[in-house]
Amino acid sequence: MADFDPEKFEDKYANYFTELQRAYKNAFETMNERFDSELVHAIDQQVLNESEPFYEDGGFRIELPDDPADRVTAIVVDDGKIEATLDRYVEEIEGELRSVFGLNDGDEPKV
Amino acid sequence: MSTDAQDADDAEDELRERVTNFLRRNFPQIQMHGGSAAIQHIDIETGEVSIQLGGACSGCGISPMTIQAIKSRMVKDIPEITKVHADTGMEGMGGEGAEGGHGGGMEPSFPGETTDDGADGRDEGPQAPF
Repeated sequence: MADFDPEKFEDKYANYFTELQRAYKNAFETMNERFDSELVHAIDQQVLNESEPFYEDGGFRIELPDDPADRVTAIVVDDGKIEATLDRYVEEIEGELRSVFGLNDGDEPKV
Repeated sequence: MSTDAQDADDAEDELRERVTNFLRRNFPQIQMHGGSAAIQHIDIETGEVSIQLGGACSGCGISPMTIQAIKSRMVKDIPEITKVHADTGMEGMGGEGAEGGHGGGMEPSFPGETTDDGADGRDEGPQAPF
């Protein structure tokens, strides 16, 4: 496993692309199994496509575009549901990132 | 006569090729996973390029991150490119074919299929580790 290096994460798309892919894919699959698949797809394609993960103060943070609920146009669903699902999705990605990089307490690193 | 236009065309072709090579070199995963990346538009004046990810990429859980990675890395790698627009063409969403059956999603479905390399491009081709 490559040790996680916060400095290298600044150029994450070059240094940690495979790990990021794995985290996003795992999060997507978990969300897809548990929630409305169409909504998960729409969030994935219309909100997360403008998101970016950062590592700060010992944790991951997913920066989202402004007004994320307004960006979901592929399906008709109320904003509250979009926001709740998106919050859950973001948590899932952050959790997967911690897990992929072995940053969870007592977690075995997956890479 | 129109040599300027000719030059511009040549420059555009060259830039197009560099973008294609960049994607192939840095993002082989796109093709390995049955996806595709097509240059829809390229503007050599402004340095803007539009790329559409298609095939298995529409509705794939890692395409948003891949899009960001392409945007971030291409402008560094190809200085002539100043802005990258990339999307996965959401209108494909309704017509995903096998409803729900897309579940597994990302398995590299045709690892051996490299038709356009022709002659001897047989034994290359990195395999995805996942």
